[in-house]
Amino acid sequence: MIKKLLMALPLTVALAVPSVAQEGFPDRALRIVHGFGAGGNADTVSRIMAEQMSQGLGEPVVVESRPGAGGTVASGYVTQQDPDGYTMQLMVGGHAVAAALYNELPYDSVGGYTFISTLGQFPFFVAARAGEYESIDAMIDAALANPGSLKIGHSGVGSTQHLTGELLALRTGAEFIHVPYQGGAAASTALMGGEVDIVIDTGTVLTGQAEAGVYDILAATSAERWPDMPDVPTLSETVAPGFDVVSWTAIGMPAGVDDEIAARIRSEVHAALDNPEVRDRIAALGANPGGSTGEELQALIEGQIAVWTDVIETAGIEKR
Amino acid sequence: MQETDQDQPSIARRALSGGVLLAVGLVMLSIAWSYPVGKLTQMGPGFIPRVVAILICALALAIILIDIRAPSAEREGRMHWRGLIFVSAAVVIFGVLVDVVGLIPSMFLAVAVSMFADDHAKPLTVLIYASLATLGGWLLFLVALELPIPAFWR
Amino acid sequence: MIDQFLIGLGVVLQPNILMYAFIGVFIGQLIGVLPGIGAITAISLLLPVTFYLDATTSMIMLAGIYYGSQYGGSIASILLNLPGTPSSVVTCLEGYPLAQNHRAGLALFVAAFSSFVGGMVGVAILVLAAIPMTIIALRFGAPEYAMLVILGLLAASLIGTGSQIRSFAMVVLGIALGLVGADATTGYFRFVAMPELADGISLVSLAMGLFGVSEIIRNASYRSPPGPALSIKMRDVIPTRAEARSLGFPILRGSAIGSFFGALPGTGAAIASFMAYAMERRVSRTPNKFGTGHLPGLAAPESANNAAAQTGFIPTLTLGIPGDAVMALIIGALILNGIIPGPRLMVDQPDLFWGVIASFFVGNIILLMINIPLIRFWVLLLRIPYQKLYPVIIVMICVGVYSHRTSVTDVMLTLAFGVLGYLMKNYRFEPAPVLLGFVLGPLLEDNFRRTMLLYSGDFTIFLTRPISAVLVACSTLLILFAIWSSIAVRRKPDRSPT
Repeated sequence: MIKKLLMALPLTVALAVPSVAQEGFPDRALRIVHGFGAGGNADTVSRIMAEQMSQGLGEPVVVESRPGAGGTVASGYVTQQDPDGYTMQLMVGGHAVAAALYNELPYDSVGGYTFISTLGQFPFFVAARAGEYESIDAMIDAALANPGSLKIGHSGVGSTQHLTGELLALRTGAEFIHVPYQGGAAASTALMGGEVDIVIDTGTVLTGQAEAGVYDILAATSAERWPDMPDVPTLSETVAPGFDVVSWTAIGMPAGVDDEIAARIRSEVHAALDNPEVRDRIAALGANPGGSTGEELQALIEGQIAVWTDVIETAGIEKR
Repeated sequence: MQETDQDQPSIARRALSGGVLLAVGLVMLSIAWSYPVGKLTQMGPGFIPRVVAILICALALAIILIDIRAPSAEREGRMHWRGLIFVSAAVVIFGVLVDVVGLIPSMFLAVAVSMFADDHAKPLTVLIYASLATLGGWLLFLVALELPIPAFWR
Repeated sequence: MIDQFLIGLGVVLQPNILMYAFIGVFIGQLIGVLPGIGAITAISLLLPVTFYLDATTSMIMLAGIYYGSQYGGSIASILLNLPGTPSSVVTCLEGYPLAQNHRAGLALFVAAFSSFVGGMVGVAILVLAAIPMTIIALRFGAPEYAMLVILGLLAASLIGTGSQIRSFAMVVLGIALGLVGADATTGYFRFVAMPELADGISLVSLAMGLFGVSEIIRNASYRSPPGPALSIKMRDVIPTRAEARSLGFPILRGSAIGSFFGALPGTGAAIASFMAYAMERRVSRTPNKFGTGHLPGLAAPESANNAAAQTGFIPTLTLGIPGDAVMALIIGALILNGIIPGPRLMVDQPDLFWGVIASFFVGNIILLMINIPLIRFWVLLLRIPYQKLYPVIIVMICVGVYSHRTSVTDVMLTLAFGVLGYLMKNYRFEPAPVLLGFVLGPLLEDNFRRTMLLYSGDFTIFLTRPISAVLVACSTLLILFAIWSSIAVRRKPDRSPT
């Protein structure tokens, strides 16, 4: 109610009138569950989608945060829910990492789901303090010249950022010290303070500093250059041919959702992604918004699980 | 502080609190023993837990010694069994039910059960009061704050 | 600086924006009173509202919720021994005894006033010294954090009214509880008995259990004899001249400590309030009075957590780096509005930057004006017999803890800690040091191990880095002082050891 009252206040822009509820599905509130703390990117994306989808579906969509163990607590919970179409999960790149990293998961990372659609994909960037390295090649050369001297700060053991750093080491033959921090912001602080030499993280974490001239963005981890930063080379075209790491957000449901209902939700997701404001907000979070079919999402996840399983084994990261 | 006429608590009783702490430390040490310790530059996850567990054991031993040697130590407080039982029951009921039947029934039952921690509670008062409290909780948590908790089972 | 601040003031004083500032601090105040429901829950619920607001207004409202909750948090601590926010745990230590001595009104007044001064000092630091504070904060690397925590633990080992060794044991127990969950450095699961514990024990569960639930267990079946009617006359709420005089330095010290810890990313209001309390106890001439409703022990941490809530915006605004989860959420709201937070914010968006800071100034005044008249209302609440109050409190704790992570495990853990806290008190163990160890322990382990990793196990790094060396020197002095004073006490047996 507080929310509705606030929405009714003068400064707020007039809202689109929600469409009238239709017969049949849905006839009550839906929910988007995610496995991260309130305030993280996953939470914010969930709320953006919930806000827009509730208008299309004519029923409220509530966001439920069930954090724990890198999102696996939420995945375990969602896959056990009734596949009635009322429970969605906001999934992130970490889902594939978890499938590779954990010895035993209380759910099936692929078979446990009815995949709906991707929401967006985003690369990571390699950043250093401004002026420290001419280019990504110079950075890798420096690392090769003094093995084990360059320190890469990352946002936590087993995070996609961490594994991306490990993959970079594997592909280039460079040896880094991988230093874990509690989240990307802390790693970025350490880079600024001179405690580490390199940070690999999302554009959201790094672009503010880069625009201010504090950081140089040396490379992007995606196969193609990132449209927002056409001047930044990719790792693939410079030091590590074939390097392609993107993270993603997507919507999934428990396995066994009726095809018609899944299609309805998918069309709502795509409709929301077509809304320019929603696109802008998701893009502001550093992602390239874009929907997909369920099969495409499944293929993406399966491919990434294979990559990360390989990285974890080769880099000798201990499984949990 | 001098005990006046009460008999001294026995040595076993005086060593109880330190003893429990010692047990906690020992259990922790036995669990942490299997964790990798690593080396100084790459400390394993077991390093700090072992240090902490040993520290707890040492402090617990010191507490036991002090408590045994100082017979004038204050006696432990009396137990509030009624409060302990009904407050615990109320929280457990809430926790077990909230995911199953929703917020409203679990709030109602938790309030009702917890009221029996007071030995003056009468069934009718409890019923009325629990209804009122549940109504207030519904207004606060679901209407005003819109917490994402279902009101009833789905 | 002052000129820009005045421009910012011009932004805030537009009626529309002022209204959102008011709404923010008011909601924050209410949320702060509710146990377990913190600023994070409130801000994430209201995040969609900010989709329809401009960046400056969004940020002013969300920030208001955050520091408003710091004011609200102390109210439940004082009245019911129920920390509304983790940073108001320390407020329980002196505030609740005051309320039990029928001086709840006075305690609420002192808390509100100290909060106001602390908040204002925080704002002043933001306006005058944001950049220097940022530079200092960036010089705090892993070795400095590790040594700072050690200094804090040493300084605070006097928290609690029991014997020192008992309270130190409780600090270590708190550190042990903080170890539960995935190890931050290796990801190894430690003491994880069930998957829900993988991210560790929630601070909310621990605080609500040790303080709130244990107190309910103790008092539920106890019928207090009809005491003297609670006075709600303004005369009995305002401190006497002597009391007021005793508060000046504690409030200033608290504000200074709070401002410092707030500006360090990764520490924050809870640690600041613990440190301020420990400091006050250290410098006090009457340390024995602590724990019995001693006003300086209430005023110092209250000003500290509010100062920290304001200076916590320094890294957020100057670097775009969120110091904690709430700040991350506020930065998220900025990003959604298409503004990239970073060092250029101050230059590119002066209206936003200075408008937000000026809104803190205005917001603190609004909060003081809301709080003083509300004291009457809160004290009246205490006239409700405890038997009618506690069932509602139990449910509020349950809902608050559950909603925090949608976790039944957290609810059960809260009960477990409630029983633990109850038993501890029966056996003369204080709960506050447990919380301190819990908050500081992970910070120490994380930074100590990171130091060893970064500097290849070289211990001299603690002495060769200047800030770290100063902290080591302070710790050493503290130990020497403790040894010296214990010898001095033994020489003069008439002075009772603390």
